Amino acid sequence: MNITQQIVNGLVLGSGYACIALGWTILLGVARLVNFAHGQLYMLGAFVTWFAMTKAALPYPLAILAAIVTLAIVGVLMQSVMMGLVMTQNLTSLMIVTLGLGYVLQGGSALLFGGNPQTLPGTLSRAKVDLGTLWFTWQDVLVLLATFVLYAAVWLFTKKTRFGSIIRAVAEDPKLAELFGINAKVVYLLVFVFECSAVALGAALVAPRSPILTSMGFNEVIMTFVVVVLGGIGSIGGALAAGLGLGLFIAFFGAFIAQAYTTAAAFAILLTLLVIRPAGLATK
Amino acid sequence: MTAIGSSSSMAKPLLRATGVVLLTAMAFLLPRLLGGTSIAYSTLTTIAIFAVMCYGVDIVLSYLGEVSLGHTLFWAAGGYAAANLSVKYELNGWATALAAIAICIAAATFLGAVTLRTREFVFSLVTYAAAVVAYEIAFNWDAIGGSDGVVGISALTLPFGFATYSGGTQEDLWPIAFILLLLTLIFIARFRRSRLGITALMVQMNPALATSLGIDQQKVRLAVFVISAPVTGLAGWLYAYQRAYVGPDMFETYFLVMMLTAVVLVGRRILLGPLIGVGILITQQNLLSLGGDWNKIILGSVLAVVLIFWPTGLVGLFSRFGKNATSAVREAANKFK
Repeated sequence: MNITQQIVNGLVLGSGYACIALGWTILLGVARLVNFAHGQLYMLGAFVTWFAMTKAALPYPLAILAAIVTLAIVGVLMQSVMMGLVMTQNLTSLMIVTLGLGYVLQGGSALLFGGNPQTLPGTLSRAKVDLGTLWFTWQDVLVLLATFVLYAAVWLFTKKTRFGSIIRAVAEDPKLAELFGINAKVVYLLVFVFECSAVALGAALVAPRSPILTSMGFNEVIMTFVVVVLGGIGSIGGALAAGLGLGLFIAFFGAFIAQAYTTAAAFAILLTLLVIRPAGLATK
Repeated sequence: MTAIGSSSSMAKPLLRATGVVLLTAMAFLLPRLLGGTSIAYSTLTTIAIFAVMCYGVDIVLSYLGEVSLGHTLFWAAGGYAAANLSVKYELNGWATALAAIAICIAAATFLGAVTLRTREFVFSLVTYAAAVVAYEIAFNWDAIGGSDGVVGISALTLPFGFATYSGGTQEDLWPIAFILLLLTLIFIARFRRSRLGITALMVQMNPALATSLGIDQQKVRLAVFVISAPVTGLAGWLYAYQRAYVGPDMFETYFLVMMLTAVVLVGRRILLGPLIGVGILITQQNLLSLGGDWNKIILGSVLAVVLIFWPTGLVGLFSRFGKNATSAVREAANKFK
């Protein structure tokens, strides 16, 4: 167990957490919505990628695209049925409804894809890079690079473009935004579709690392919660830093303390933080 | 429509009491009326246990208006307490029930206190995460069962000093499940009229009024959450004896979705709502089952559809139809005049 290898592992894990959490950060921070089907959407993204590669024999980039498009459609459907609750900002019902829809996705995916564990075929995830005593795969490099590019793009988009300020206006006060001629429904729909597509991309990139099951997704949800709360709700830079930080912590905790209790350790961090700073680290 | 303290029947307390006693007696004899088969006993016992499980969530969701996604943790805690203490230390039912209550209160106090100053959805998020993490611990910690769980839980024994009641078969467990359900209903009915119950409702309906009356909303939320935990925990306690097995599957999302669906299906803030909801859902799963994956789709869809289209539940739906029907009849009558 050498320290440098654990730092590499931590960055690899952390970029994965940050990548999966991006959609939720935007959804919660920018549009003030929650989605408890996030874990099941991650599962679905991974399975669509797997299906496209093994059954439809598509190359990896096209399979990623297929996952993004499928999840975008699922997002449009989900958001369309929930629009009434979204426009009235009924968070209590939204949480329960998304949980119910997540359960539907879980049952539906088990019917479609079967109950057996599958592995995503990946040439990149088998291609090892050895640097002396250090090692990682090209898939890890891809995840790290994609995460940085995505976060930079999203940050520029929400902070520097007119559409970014429109989204923030809708989150602040949907009724008022409509008075200024903004169609709040379309904005909410686009943000939700972005969340679904982002988690599909995250799943297609991260899932090749481990076997996939239709019952998975809980672990990813907890890590997403921790990243979003740790980073300060809605802070894009904060989420990236929190993702990498959490990855490093988990890598060291798993290597030196207990591999089986990594989720519990992440949860302990979340609880400690909530007691010290209830509104998150990045707030003033 | 919210049916808090239906005042019309209060006028004749004696008649009302007789009615309640008669209905209770009928409910107790229900498995015999349905043929007295072991399937009738086990199905009704399951409905009673699941209803008690749902009442824990009902207290938080209906009266406080918050969403706890962590009640599977209390459900499992009750089950694990019963399993481990009865198998390893051969404790009787009273002792395991007390332990289940104590563990649930401790866990709820801890979770509630940690989330005391956070925003509403953070509470749901933390309770949800707590259940997932508890699953991980239960799955990996061999001392309390690990991934295999605890098998061979002996029959539930409740010594009364002079005699000992033993719930070995489904038929013997039914009276215990029935009494537990009855006690839960009495507890909920008293809670609705208690100071805490009324304050909780005020915090939900009119937070500004509650604050101006000097009510500490965070304390009310914590208190309601803490008293709701042992209700679900006791259901898990009895479930352990019914199945004679406890394992990490008690953390399954199924139970969480079941609790939430049963509470919203009939309508929130209705005393018998969760019981009727559980009855409908279990009947569908046992008698009209379409297989595990389809049942998941049905259960999840029912939850989503009710909240999106009929937020007041079946009761609201019926009263809407009822109103339409009465006004239609009245219009028709006016035409004939």
